[in-house]
Amino acid sequence: MSDPNIEGFELEKGFKGMAKDTGSDQTMFKGVHWGKAMMWIFLLSDTFVFSCFLIAYMKGRSSTPAEWPNPSEVFALDAFGVPVPLLLIALMTFVLITSSGTMALAVKYGYEKNRKMCGYLILATALGGLTFVGMQAYEWSKLIHEGVRPWSNPFGAAQFGSFFFMITGFHGTHVSIGVIFLFIYCYKVFAGHYDKGKRGWFTKMKGDYVEVEILGLYWHFVDLVWVFIFAFFYLW
Amino acid sequence: MEDSKKREQSGSTHKIGIYLWIWGLLFVLSFFSYLVDWYQFQGMLRWSLILFFMFLKAGLIMAFFMHLYWERYALVNVLLWPMTAIVCFICLMIAEGKYTLFSRLFYFFVGG
Amino acid sequence: MSDEHENKSGYQAQSSETIHAQSSEAITGSGSGIAPDMDYVRPAELPEQDLYHPHSFIEKWVFCQDAKVIGVQYFLTAVFTGIVGLILSWLMRLQLGFPGLAGFITAEHYYQFVTMHGMIMVVYFLTALFLGGFGNYLIPLMVGARDMVFPYVNMLSFWMFFVAVVVLMASFFVPGGPTGAGWTLYPPQTILEGTPGHGWGILLMLISLSLFVIGFTMGGLNYMITILQARTRGMTLMRMPLTVWGIFTATVLAMLAFPALLVSSIMMTLDKLLGTSFFMPTILKAGEVLEYGGGSPILFQHLFWFFGHPEVYIVALPAFGIVSDLISVHARKNIFGYRMMVWAIVGIGALSFFVWAHHMYVSGMNPWFGFFFASTTLIIAVPTAMKVYNWILTLWRGNIRINTVMLWCLGFIVTFVNGGITGIFLGNVSVDVPLSDTYFVVAHFHMVMGIAPLMVIMGAIYHWFPLVAGKMLNEKLGKWHFWITFLGAYSIYFPMHYLGFIGVPRRYYEMYDSPYMTSGVGLNEFISTAAFIVGAAQLFLVFNIIKTMKTGKKAEQNPWKANSLEWYTSTVPPEHGNFGDRLPVVHRWPYDYNVPGAEQDYLPQTAAPSEVAHTEVEKT
Repeated sequence: MSDPNIEGFELEKGFKGMAKDTGSDQTMFKGVHWGKAMMWIFLLSDTFVFSCFLIAYMKGRSSTPAEWPNPSEVFALDAFGVPVPLLLIALMTFVLITSSGTMALAVKYGYEKNRKMCGYLILATALGGLTFVGMQAYEWSKLIHEGVRPWSNPFGAAQFGSFFFMITGFHGTHVSIGVIFLFIYCYKVFAGHYDKGKRGWFTKMKGDYVEVEILGLYWHFVDLVWVFIFAFFYLW
Repeated sequence: MEDSKKREQSGSTHKIGIYLWIWGLLFVLSFFSYLVDWYQFQGMLRWSLILFFMFLKAGLIMAFFMHLYWERYALVNVLLWPMTAIVCFICLMIAEGKYTLFSRLFYFFVGG
Repeated sequence: MSDEHENKSGYQAQSSETIHAQSSEAITGSGSGIAPDMDYVRPAELPEQDLYHPHSFIEKWVFCQDAKVIGVQYFLTAVFTGIVGLILSWLMRLQLGFPGLAGFITAEHYYQFVTMHGMIMVVYFLTALFLGGFGNYLIPLMVGARDMVFPYVNMLSFWMFFVAVVVLMASFFVPGGPTGAGWTLYPPQTILEGTPGHGWGILLMLISLSLFVIGFTMGGLNYMITILQARTRGMTLMRMPLTVWGIFTATVLAMLAFPALLVSSIMMTLDKLLGTSFFMPTILKAGEVLEYGGGSPILFQHLFWFFGHPEVYIVALPAFGIVSDLISVHARKNIFGYRMMVWAIVGIGALSFFVWAHHMYVSGMNPWFGFFFASTTLIIAVPTAMKVYNWILTLWRGNIRINTVMLWCLGFIVTFVNGGITGIFLGNVSVDVPLSDTYFVVAHFHMVMGIAPLMVIMGAIYHWFPLVAGKMLNEKLGKWHFWITFLGAYSIYFPMHYLGFIGVPRRYYEMYDSPYMTSGVGLNEFISTAAFIVGAAQLFLVFNIIKTMKTGKKAEQNPWKANSLEWYTSTVPPEHGNFGDRLPVVHRWPYDYNVPGAEQDYLPQTAAPSEVAHTEVEKT
């Protein structure tokens, strides 16, 4: 959330406001913290990374003459003896959205300087992320057990395994990095670094609750990417 | 920066209700998109439903969880316009994928 | 001169005091009856950046967080890779001009030289030099910031780049040598046996590229956010020097285009290491079907050029921006059509994402794409031509000083027009098809993105050296340097157009006694000789720098009488924090030269309206 009250520069809605902001001096994104602007631009760049992955997947899938495996069957999971399609994926989606929600609340409580709530919610988010990574590891090992390899698989086109491991792997890497940072930030919140404005050891910059929001942006982005992977990889 | 106090006063943090609402909607939408697979819709219906739920979910996450809805327009536009390049890339690659498949089938199986 | 500068800073202090008074009035609302102060500038939105000052030699010169030092580090590293690239080009020309003279250049070596020369020059030399070198040095100074917004990340960016260069250079020493797949690294041949460096070489290349992208992302975020969010008071986007606009737009392009390179590198690494078949179709080799199958080589080309075409503008746009500033300063005239120039830069940048497949007309892609990509490609000629006209109109009736900097700028305009016109040939599918993969293409892209940006780099070095080092480079040596380089470069690339027209294919190790060579052999010797001379002529610059550092005349503050903020720092060369106690306040664009009524022929950006009320300066 940007601060709408820049001195001498009131918020105007719509394109008119945009023109005014863009034409002004000093900052273009009024009231947006440097770190937050940086995270946004980074996420834009990262969006292009994932877009390129998904475009490559789409192109690869649509031009391979071999039969593409039916994800609904490949990712089915036996529940009480009945194969339920995409059960694990549904659970993973549930976990990730849950963690996204807790993160959103953590950001809210961070801005309200509610140290404890913020910390617990970040912890919950981190645990959700960890669960997700664990489930993904289970999914991978299950598929590997069934004979799916990056270079081949028993169900059809070899590219299926290649794209699956690459894209979910890249997403999983993002989640794992996010989890690590969530734990670090959880510690920092509980230790009160953001209340005191303690300088971070890495960048030597003063701590502020806005960092929770910046981390939140990253975490929601990971969730966002999963929405696209879910749609394009598992449902298509 | 250091003006979170002012932020509180100006009321730019949001009520918890809005987050819970969006949270709930995301679960419901995910459930619906799961149902698309469950009922094994096929063809254009499947595609349009998948894309509809996908964009709706993505939009909700970006607009409310990532606060884009409350951001100034300058930031929103800077973030969304570059996507036209991706859209163009996607459209062209759809055509390219079809053409590659066509030429493979044509030359390898039909034999030119 | 120094008196004059003190005067200026005096004005500055005075005007900012009035601003303080004014702004407090504006906030309390008590001054509503008084006429608005013409010098009013909005108060600062953000508190001063707290800088981490270095405590030791290592923090000051090695792991330094000062953007200026990082800029110089980038510059030197990029120049080092550039010298390697230059030597490789010599070796290639040695083989082409005098086949068999240097026995150690085998065909495999030749391909490795071609590949490494291309990749080094495009990515590790030009991109890093413009964005990492000039970007880091100039952005904070020109927008009036104390430093980049995230100095620590900026430092990491350089060291990531450094590691990328080390990995790249390591590939010269691994078994099999560097990759020889051509700088575009097209699969499937890139990673198959028979291509030089298909083992370690290509792997190191891909790893190095990925590292470069990661490092650049860190730097690019800094450049973008510094320009967008950390400008000084009064510095609107439309008051920024075009240099900043060029670097900014190029950075945006890089942030959005490098992902495609990263993705294609990762996918090809997996193809190589794990045996996936993203880009590998079913291949018959000596009657045997390889393990690979079902992948799409053309997908790599699309991904590569989705990066590759914006990459051309990543190199060209900073050059456009810098040359606009240099021309304006040394012709003592405002840049013609500043807004048009800005929009042209932005427009070229935006369009560059919609033209990539014009590199692929003969690749076997969907034939209908030719229509789309030829159209978008030719549309790009419009903003580009606008820029050329504007440079010429800036020169028109200017008070032109034919010094070394101006010579390089003029050289740039000529070269760029040349390269641009051949680009129109190649943008059309029907003309491109016969010219594809001939020396015409080589001549085209070397003119437009090799020589032309290089001219700007040279001009920029002569222009900003007094700022960076505090000493004036020798003009006489500079002119020698220019004329030999300029005429030499034309001697190299002009004949290549002809070679292309008669059909000499590029990337061939030797022409043997093919019919092409009956008329081409003499030309090739001529081109090679010119290449040796041009390469050696760069020693003029090295010698000039050494001589200047030893005995050169000390530069006064603002020796070119320029307007932009980098010349109004508290010390020369600028110290950490750039502007001393108080950040400058900007009241105008940086192009107010020869304003009627002004005492001097330039008005710095910090000159307040009340000081120049008697002149006919326009509001900017």
